[in-house]
Amino acid sequence: MRFLSALSLILSFIAAAPAAAQSLPRFGAPEKHVDAELIASTDAIVPGKPITVGLRLKHEHEWHTYWQVPGDSGLPTQMKWQLPTGFNAGPIDWPHPKRLPVGPLMNFGYEGETLLLTTIQVPADLPLGTPVTLSAKASWLECKDVCIPGDAQVNLTLPVKSAAAPSGSEALFKSSQAQVPQSALPAQATIDAGRIRVAFSAPANKTLDKVEFFPLEEGRIEPAAPQELKSEGGQYAIYLTAAKPVGADFKTLKGVVVANGGPANANGWSNVVQGPLTAGVIGSAAGAAATANGNSSMSLLAALATALLGGLILNLMPCVFPVLSLKLIGLAQHRTHSGPMAAHGIAFAVGVVLSFVLLAALLIGLQQAGTALGWGFQLQTPWVVAALTVLFFGIGLNLLGVYEFTMATGVANLKAADALAHKSDWRGSFGTGVLAVIVASPCTAPFMGAALGYAITQPAVIALSVFAALGFGMALPYLLLTLFPSWLAKLPRPGRWMELFKQFMAFPMFATCVWLLWVLAQQTDAGGVALALGVLVAVGFTLWALGLSQRGARMFRWVAAVGGLFAALTFAPIATSEALAPGTRNTADAGWIEYSAEKLAQLRTEGKPVFVDFTAAWCVTCQVNKRVALRADDVKARFASDNVVLMRADWTNRDERITQALAQFGRNGVPLYVLYDRKGNAEVLPELLTQGTVIAALDKLRLKEASR
Amino acid sequence: MKLFSLFAAGLLASSIVFAAPVPGQPAPNFRAADVSGKQISLADFKGKYVVLEWNNPGCPFVQKHYDSGNMQSLQKRYGAENVAWVAINSTAESHSDYMSPEKLAGWFKQHSAAPAAVLMDTNGQIGRAFGAKVTPHMYVIDPNGTLVYAGAIDDKRTANPADVKTASNYVTSALSEVKSGKPVSKAVNNAYGCSIKYS
Repeated sequence: MRFLSALSLILSFIAAAPAAAQSLPRFGAPEKHVDAELIASTDAIVPGKPITVGLRLKHEHEWHTYWQVPGDSGLPTQMKWQLPTGFNAGPIDWPHPKRLPVGPLMNFGYEGETLLLTTIQVPADLPLGTPVTLSAKASWLECKDVCIPGDAQVNLTLPVKSAAAPSGSEALFKSSQAQVPQSALPAQATIDAGRIRVAFSAPANKTLDKVEFFPLEEGRIEPAAPQELKSEGGQYAIYLTAAKPVGADFKTLKGVVVANGGPANANGWSNVVQGPLTAGVIGSAAGAAATANGNSSMSLLAALATALLGGLILNLMPCVFPVLSLKLIGLAQHRTHSGPMAAHGIAFAVGVVLSFVLLAALLIGLQQAGTALGWGFQLQTPWVVAALTVLFFGIGLNLLGVYEFTMATGVANLKAADALAHKSDWRGSFGTGVLAVIVASPCTAPFMGAALGYAITQPAVIALSVFAALGFGMALPYLLLTLFPSWLAKLPRPGRWMELFKQFMAFPMFATCVWLLWVLAQQTDAGGVALALGVLVAVGFTLWALGLSQRGARMFRWVAAVGGLFAALTFAPIATSEALAPGTRNTADAGWIEYSAEKLAQLRTEGKPVFVDFTAAWCVTCQVNKRVALRADDVKARFASDNVVLMRADWTNRDERITQALAQFGRNGVPLYVLYDRKGNAEVLPELLTQGTVIAALDKLRLKEASR
Repeated sequence: MKLFSLFAAGLLASSIVFAAPVPGQPAPNFRAADVSGKQISLADFKGKYVVLEWNNPGCPFVQKHYDSGNMQSLQKRYGAENVAWVAINSTAESHSDYMSPEKLAGWFKQHSAAPAAVLMDTNGQIGRAFGAKVTPHMYVIDPNGTLVYAGAIDDKRTANPADVKTASNYVTSALSEVKSGKPVSKAVNNAYGCSIKYS
């Protein structure tokens, strides 16, 4: 063959113009970049005893050869044995490979020096004394940025003795054998919308901080896709991207796991993992390689600290501040009772933390049950938004003194503080904690959706810890004041100002109502908002009548009951109403088109730059960005002059397609801004947009095109 | 904010996303200059079967099929059957394998090759749209513009020209199946060859 290709080369050279001569050196008998040699682990062959030999490949700097599955391109190295009668060579025992990126593609192979091991069976009746020659034709593909097929005839002659000693290469054999993946660990593989989750337990006493997964079958996974490692429920899970299309014969996933850089490193190991592949739901795993490669304990600490701080800030949110500040005032009136107070503080904190954890567990549970949800899911259903409006309106009326809230669980009832002296009423404080989380929920979603969304994509334990930290942060000021009642002395003395302050706090509540009604208007239509306002009138009437009855006009109890019935009847159509279908939403600005994955794929193929705005009406950050950056004249002009297609993915209502699209970017919440260049490559912009960041991203795009 | 820098790092790593069609889906349309500077688009071949061949003369796997005459004979055979055979070169200008349009035209001429067109895809746009990974990566598109085959040229995954004789050619079998109204039995497989030298 070599002769044939050389001949055709010479012929073509003669026939062709001098132009061909310039490319001649690369076509000529290639210079070798890989040295091959056959070596043995022992200095002699012993009859009846298998011998381990190895093909030692020494690669020139930057050159590589391939593993048994080469990745996106390349060929595995092959051995064709020529052995004396009675000898039998086994398959190659491959040391684990390295990931070798080639532009956007990925190869699996070896650089530097490697030893491909083979065990050869030796006949028992081999006569002693006569040396034996083991021969093989080794062939491989050697690549740098260009590829050259290489081959070599390798021979090894060894004496035949009754006993053998280790050869001079014993150390190399030992280290290479250590690189061969250990026997298969049982695994469970789940495939869901092109994502594969491989779950397995590490061998005893082994840990896994960093992983590389190498498939043992071609065409099953996308070699270049980032791989993500998570610790989930005592097991490890690797998230991979399936190669498209997924073959009907793909029933078993088999691959090599290289942990912590492989056995050559401290704590490193490698094993084959193998298990059945079944269709299932794997949640919205992030496509972020950073999680697998980064120091996960650091990022967890950072996440916990962020959540704690976020919880503290929550106390200042318009929906929470009135409730908790009044609770504090209640404390101030009872600054003498220190013992029971601490119990109340702890009960409150437990109430807050548990509610957050339960809410998170509910979300994770729903996600694993296959519902595409993200944080903010509470606000994606119109009736929940309407119910929260009613709740805030009711609290506002309570603060204005329209009625008293007489149950021990009173949210903002000053009288609840009276109960502090009675130890048995710690349940009241627990209830207040729970309600504080409910009233806080419209505030957590818009301000912390993205951060909490990140937490949701983490293993359940981490996600729940983050939510617990958030709750703890929120409960912290109240808890500290109950534990250190002397601090209460710093609060102003009780007096008439308290009553006025309480009444004044009704207005942030009503402001929250206005905002929730605006969200409802995005989710439904004018009719939906009118119904909600009707409910508020009926609730207002009911609470007014209730207030009268509380002040002694007992017959108004019946009026209140009738009002309550009216409120419920008005609410019913909202509870049963469906959210508006996508496409009929009225959030679109002129010049923006509705998001669809198909349309996006088409635009990217056509080489059009696309800007995608993942947003929701209830997301305050999104609204701010829209006003500050996206609707700014300069930005609009640049979008127009650069011919950027503007696409809006509106997540105000639940929309599985958008939840999936967010998951592709490792997100579980909005906002998210993605700019695709003409090649279809995505760049993600920060959560907080300014005109400058958007224009800088567009400049970069121009630059990329100019440099082409 | 630390959380978000983590995101950013992950996204950078995965910023190159192949949105490749799979057999059964419409082939993405493309438009590019051929080696003579003429604009060619997939839509030009509407109503014909189209074969796409990813090409790079510097790749030993491409040389295998041209030195053996295999690729040329396929091009001639299907040219006579009114199949549009389009060779596409996605090598980046910065790579040592890059050939100018004139040189590439010369190489095809010198090998007596007979594709309907040889396209310059220097920025890799067409290659990425099809998810082409290697040279030679082969695609077959039916007269309606639907992708019916994506994968290797044949089943002998070597760079050895002698293996062509004993190989079973996937492009030939896909075309004969689809032309006789049958579904392609193996519509997709792992192509073999050199990685495409994308920019």
